[in-house]
Amino acid sequence: MAALGRQVLDGHRLIPLTWSLIARQTTRLGGQKRTTAFLLRKLTMVSSGGGLGESPSVEPQKYVQEPEHRTGLTQCLLEKQRTAVEREKVVSSLLDMGFSDVHVNELLSIQPGTHPQQLLDIISELILLGLNPEPVCVALKKSPQLLKLPVMHMKKRSSYLRKLGLGEGKLKRVLYSCPEIFTMRQRDIESIVGVLKEKCLFTVKQVTEILHRCPCVLREDPGELEYKFQYAYFRMGIKHVDVVKTDFLQYSMTKTKERHVFLERLGRYQTPDKKGQTLVPNPLLRDILRVSEAEFLAKTACSSAEEFGVFKELLAREEEESEGRMADAGSPEEAGP
Amino acid sequence: MTYSVQFGDLWPSIRVSLLSEQKYGALVNNFAAWDRVSAELEQLSARDFVNEAIFHGEPEPKNGQTAAPPPASWACSPNLRCFTFARGDVSRFPPARLGSLGVMDYYLMDAASLLPVLALGLQPGDTVLDLCAAPGGKTLALLQTGCCRNLAANDLSTSRAGRLQKVLHSYVPQDVRDRNRVRVTSWDGRKWGELEGDIYDRVFSLVAEIQAVWILTESWLYHLSAREVWVLVDVPCTTDRHSLHEEENNIFKRSRKKERQMLPMLQMQLLAAGLLATKPGGHVVYSTCSLSHLQNEYVVQGTIELLANQYDIKVHVEDLTHFRKLFMDTFSFFPSCQVGELVIPNLMANFGPMYFCKMCRMT
Repeated sequence: MAALGRQVLDGHRLIPLTWSLIARQTTRLGGQKRTTAFLLRKLTMVSSGGGLGESPSVEPQKYVQEPEHRTGLTQCLLEKQRTAVEREKVVSSLLDMGFSDVHVNELLSIQPGTHPQQLLDIISELILLGLNPEPVCVALKKSPQLLKLPVMHMKKRSSYLRKLGLGEGKLKRVLYSCPEIFTMRQRDIESIVGVLKEKCLFTVKQVTEILHRCPCVLREDPGELEYKFQYAYFRMGIKHVDVVKTDFLQYSMTKTKERHVFLERLGRYQTPDKKGQTLVPNPLLRDILRVSEAEFLAKTACSSAEEFGVFKELLAREEEESEGRMADAGSPEEAGP
Repeated sequence: MTYSVQFGDLWPSIRVSLLSEQKYGALVNNFAAWDRVSAELEQLSARDFVNEAIFHGEPEPKNGQTAAPPPASWACSPNLRCFTFARGDVSRFPPARLGSLGVMDYYLMDAASLLPVLALGLQPGDTVLDLCAAPGGKTLALLQTGCCRNLAANDLSTSRAGRLQKVLHSYVPQDVRDRNRVRVTSWDGRKWGELEGDIYDRVFSLVAEIQAVWILTESWLYHLSAREVWVLVDVPCTTDRHSLHEEENNIFKRSRKKERQMLPMLQMQLLAAGLLATKPGGHVVYSTCSLSHLQNEYVVQGTIELLANQYDIKVHVEDLTHFRKLFMDTFSFFPSCQVGELVIPNLMANFGPMYFCKMCRMT
């Protein structure tokens, strides 16, 4: 009894769902009006720590007016018991999956309103996708909105991700930097995957690799992603394999253009010819994009910060003006003399 | 690549500047309300680099003694006012407007183009011959000095001479043009020596705008996109944007290789003609917008040798070190010219290229 009482007090978070359970039971089985109403109100007040004058919602009155009611308190406590048992089940399932006690407590307190079964279902999908317990905790703490997802949606999405090759542990990195992979619309993921496969002509394996290593591509506009790839392939002469290996797609177009065009105009980068050759070997991509600006200037460009600063301004202006010109040039020009 | 050999470590920074937007100077039109125009330009945070160089660039006297006045030949041509934005500032000037006096308020040009005019050191009453004068920036500057008793401006190409006429009409009032006996002609500049003889006390010989500015190796041209080549060609022509889009006249097309190689010959002939037309004791400034020492120093040295051997005419090259020091804050100069001075483009000061060499005809 005392234990149950404690649960009642502790379980104020469970009120909303419990409430509806009580309500359902009450209408079905009937009970004394006054007692039920009183007890229900009392429960609410005690749990939410409010004074006697408060009545949280109109609903209790509605149900109280139903003709048949059972004794509210017993029903309530039975429901509480049921929920507690469920919760215990969930806890033990989680422990079975490999979560520690600490993990379990953390998980249960991420989003207090979540039903334990919902929590378990979501977590199960993640485990089935090959994530380990620790990363699951980290990911859910960072993105609690995942716990609100309908379980069916979660299952469908998981199966789609598996198809994309993102099971078996590849998911961790994606989940950390791009949790939207579960919440975003299916067709948005599909359009990105479509660009990579059909427009850029990456292989299926390469697409998986890209999603795994550069999950931020999921956030990009498909047209801009395609442009980014074309810039790498045609303008810089980088082959598919290297686009994947160097994580090229994760860098912003602005940064890439600034550094590449700077090198090109300095004469330190050359677009390879049809045979893929250049007069002088081009600097490694990691020395262009992955390094800090200071290192880029010192090692790769061999130029000064002030010159690069001026160059960036000039380039931004060039881009702005060429976009303006393209917008103006709506109709094709007539052939001139 | 020729230029990387010639310029070594400096070449990449020159190259990136050539391929990026150039910087302009605003030459104030003295025939308009120049004091108001100057004030307006200062409001934009630009400053008159000529004024700053001449009045603040004087070297400090050593040991408290008064500095010796610079020789007369070092004095810069007077009355030139040209505004630029500070180093690293990529602001643009608004387009020039027509003022109340019926002429334009300023002329946008590569500020480095003013240096040969300044170096010439004009004095009131001089007669000036400007060979290859189009598109007209330097010609206009010559008129701004107010020193030209006679100005003959010539360009090989009729269409370019026509453009030069338009510039002069927009900037110089009719009465000034008449007074200065400004004559724009389109004769082959090489024939001047024969026709006019030793009339001109100062000759301003410009061999810049034959469209070919640099001699580049074949392979480099091959890899540059068409747009980049046009930008290169356009840069030296200062405000002559037409050459940017003249694909037919683009001298960097492979089919015009012979023409490019003939250029130094043409340039030597023009310089020789200019020197021959100069009075003994008179001065010639040879300038190009080329980086190539084949077009610059070699032409100067070759012509001087030619005149000495074939005409028994002695020509002395003047040292412009002091002059260069005056303008070092505004422009980047190449440190290793054998004769003359070369302004090299730099992203912080994207003026030039501009080569100039001052000579004095002795005999």
